[in-house]
Amino acid sequence: MDEVTRGKLEAIRQGELSVVENVQRMLERIAKLNPKINAFIELNPDALAQAEAVERRLRRGEKVGKLAGLTVGVKSNINVLGLRATCASKTLEDYIATYDAEVIKRVRAAGGIIIGMTNMDEFACGSSGETSAFGATDNPAAPGHIPGGSSSGSAAAIAAGMCDLCLGSDTGGSIRNPASHCGVVGVKPTYGLVPRQGLIDLAMSLDQIGPFAPDVYGAALLLEVIAGFNPNECVMLDAKGVSYADELQTDLKGMRVGISPKFRELTDPKIMEVIDSAIKKLQDLGAEIVEVELPHLEKGLPAYYLIMSVEFFSATRKFDGRKYGKRIEDVCGDEVLRRILRGRHISRKEYRGKYYQRALQVRTIIREELMTALEKVDVIVGPTVPKLPHKMGEKISVSAMYAYDYLTIPANLAGICGGVVKAGEVDGIPVGLQVQGKVLGEEEVFRVLRSYEAVA
Amino acid sequence: MKMLIGFEVHQQLSTGRKMYCDCPTNYQEVPPNTNICPICTGMPGSKPLPPNERAVDAAIEIALMLGCEIIADRIIYIQRKHYDYPDLPSGYQRTSLPIGLNGELQGVRIREVHLEEDPGQYDPTLGTVDFNRSGVPLVEIVTEPDMHSPEEARKFLRQLVRLLEYSGKVRPEAGGAMRTDTNISLEGGGRVEVKNINSVKGAYRAIKFEIMRQRAKLERGEAVTRETRAYLESQKITMPMRLKELEEDYRYIPDPDIFPLVIDQARIRRIKASMVEAPHLREQRLVKQYGIGPSVANVIASERELANLFEVVAREVDPKFVATWFRTKLKKILNYMKLRAEDVKFVPEQLIDLLKMIKSDEITPEQGELVLRELVKRPGDPHELLLQLGLVRVGRTELQAAVAEAIRTNPEVVKDYLAGKQEALHFLVGKVMQLTNMRADPREIIKLLRAELGREG
Ligand SMILES: [Zn+2]
Repeated sequence: MDEVTRGKLEAIRQGELSVVENVQRMLERIAKLNPKINAFIELNPDALAQAEAVERRLRRGEKVGKLAGLTVGVKSNINVLGLRATCASKTLEDYIATYDAEVIKRVRAAGGIIIGMTNMDEFACGSSGETSAFGATDNPAAPGHIPGGSSSGSAAAIAAGMCDLCLGSDTGGSIRNPASHCGVVGVKPTYGLVPRQGLIDLAMSLDQIGPFAPDVYGAALLLEVIAGFNPNECVMLDAKGVSYADELQTDLKGMRVGISPKFRELTDPKIMEVIDSAIKKLQDLGAEIVEVELPHLEKGLPAYYLIMSVEFFSATRKFDGRKYGKRIEDVCGDEVLRRILRGRHISRKEYRGKYYQRALQVRTIIREELMTALEKVDVIVGPTVPKLPHKMGEKISVSAMYAYDYLTIPANLAGICGGVVKAGEVDGIPVGLQVQGKVLGEEEVFRVLRSYEAVA
Repeated sequence: MKMLIGFEVHQQLSTGRKMYCDCPTNYQEVPPNTNICPICTGMPGSKPLPPNERAVDAAIEIALMLGCEIIADRIIYIQRKHYDYPDLPSGYQRTSLPIGLNGELQGVRIREVHLEEDPGQYDPTLGTVDFNRSGVPLVEIVTEPDMHSPEEARKFLRQLVRLLEYSGKVRPEAGGAMRTDTNISLEGGGRVEVKNINSVKGAYRAIKFEIMRQRAKLERGEAVTRETRAYLESQKITMPMRLKELEEDYRYIPDPDIFPLVIDQARIRRIKASMVEAPHLREQRLVKQYGIGPSVANVIASERELANLFEVVAREVDPKFVATWFRTKLKKILNYMKLRAEDVKFVPEQLIDLLKMIKSDEITPEQGELVLRELVKRPGDPHELLLQLGLVRVGRTELQAAVAEAIRTNPEVVKDYLAGKQEALHFLVGKVMQLTNMRADPREIIKLLRAELGREG
């Protein structure tokens, strides 16, 4: 497959493509496609000026960062100074960020140009991109179908070529799910690898910011720019100076790749067909395929919805209508309200033992199960989403909506990393291969993603 | 009537920085909303910094001073306590689980000591919130209901205030830095909690009012129900709190944005090695070590710097003599001048010299007191001060001349004296003192007067 990002960076460095030209082309493409796709909900008015600045430094031969000249779309739950961080909600529709999130500072320092804020499920509560107060996002890879969520705009923007790279966030699959549906690369990093400072919370113990890209190289590059210890944040791993992009290999000799029969039980057979053939390719590339036991995998879903709701309830108490104009419960959509009320209910003193503590116990079981499995293998591969995306506007039940998340939630509960690359298609709809790795096992995950990408 | 009284005392810790951000804590000295950042105003997406280590150390030290066991080598969660109030920017307050347990202060059991953060300041009249105070670290001390009268409760609070001041780890009490809730129950009635108390005096009044109110109800045969009331400082009464505030369920969860605290033994050892001796323990030690009475020890231990000064001086001069001087003279002068011991500028050696001069009869106690007063005002060598004050003792001849002069110019008084009136002698002593500019020892004057007038008194 074509390595789009690598090619673009090369062209910029060689002067074949100016940074301003790159930004202009992206803005033109957004102007043309966004009315239909609705991937962006706000554009950065300073993008061209920032492009000129990077361009000048390039021409003067000054040192520029790894992302020099690339356009980056940002999910609307990440603070970018001067732009709206709405979380695609009426609650924050007038909230203009007063500071840059740590990841944004790092992107800027690396020469990346923030092109705009992408659409998303309201407060990242959703797996379809339909709950945004700014309207649903279409799937550029399968028009008329949902793009997945909650980072719907980020995945769609990449799929439609509206920008070079995107930032999203993943709490229960919100990067990997839309990456799968839109046929792009998306990575959820190990919990604590990427600073969350500046990310508006869904569930603090699960949220991670991660990259979207048209190719594995781009995702690796963006992740290495945003990853690493931030002393101004408590819950971070002590990881410094990570590097992924330069070491991308395209063979899997000596790698042990885990698969689980659980995946097949939970997944649409048509999707499994695509995944099976992808696994076959991994084997051809030299990987040793090993079966691992994940007996409690599906128990993660109810546990996740309890833990996430309690944390989300807590996180949204600040949206009380005093500082940001609107009280969240008065203006939010059904799904956000459902989660707040659920969180309020189960965090009651008398229910603590019954729900929240139990959910935390299940979380421990799933974490131990995945850790044990990942002692035997380097990565675990399988499908990303157990079913194909529904048609936009089609009404599905709450439980059917939640069922999209069965296979992505466990990585968040365990705090491990996971990445998605397009495995193939079912009826013209992309299907993503999910590669889950150990804590700080991003290098192995990228190796499998890139090796597969090279032969797909 | 039997009664049980307990306290929850909150006091601001005197760290330079807030609990979870780098903003300064001098909230009273700056214009509203200047010591703020995205963290302490709860801006969307902000994350707390790791907890302020100095605040944690301070809470450990205070817990140790209160005789608590420190929760060592175990996870201490920092929890979110949710409630809805304009001064709370995130809709929750962070509060730690206990750092110390099972302490004791003067017969009152200390249930626990933990850390909290202060909210901002809401002005209901203007409808404004000042977040300068938001995130200032607090220590909360919870007692068992071990006090049995308003006086006992007041005495305990005073002891606690003294202990906290001693620690040097809390902000001075000025400006409502100490806040306390108290619970009061009379035999046969429910437990009533009273909030919004800002001083020891306020606590005493609130408790007195509550006892009166509850007793009256019980005497009328009415039930005293378990409830939470607020103390109204202006009217010195308590009022029931709004129902909504009572039904509040704080929905505690461990804060996912902060690693729990773990206090290791080495840290406790380090704090113990340099920590301040608790005042109640010091008071007991002063009695034992220096052989002084409990009431004078209580005066000396009332301020940490006063006790420090005492112990330095008592090394060089008879401790009992020093103790008497501290209680009857030094403390009196400091009180009169509205000074605290920590404000005195003289060095201990100057006080040592002065007390030695008095002890060896080089100067009279009266002269000594004048010099001491001067020493507090204008520190210097006591000999110099004596000279500057013109207090060097008059010579024998000069004194005899003064005595003669007093007798000569007051024949009526002399007559009275000879007729047996003791007050007459005192009058003559005063005259001589005047004539010698207070530079004579009254005892010596009496001796001379009696010798001169030839009559034993
Ligand atoms: Zn601050």
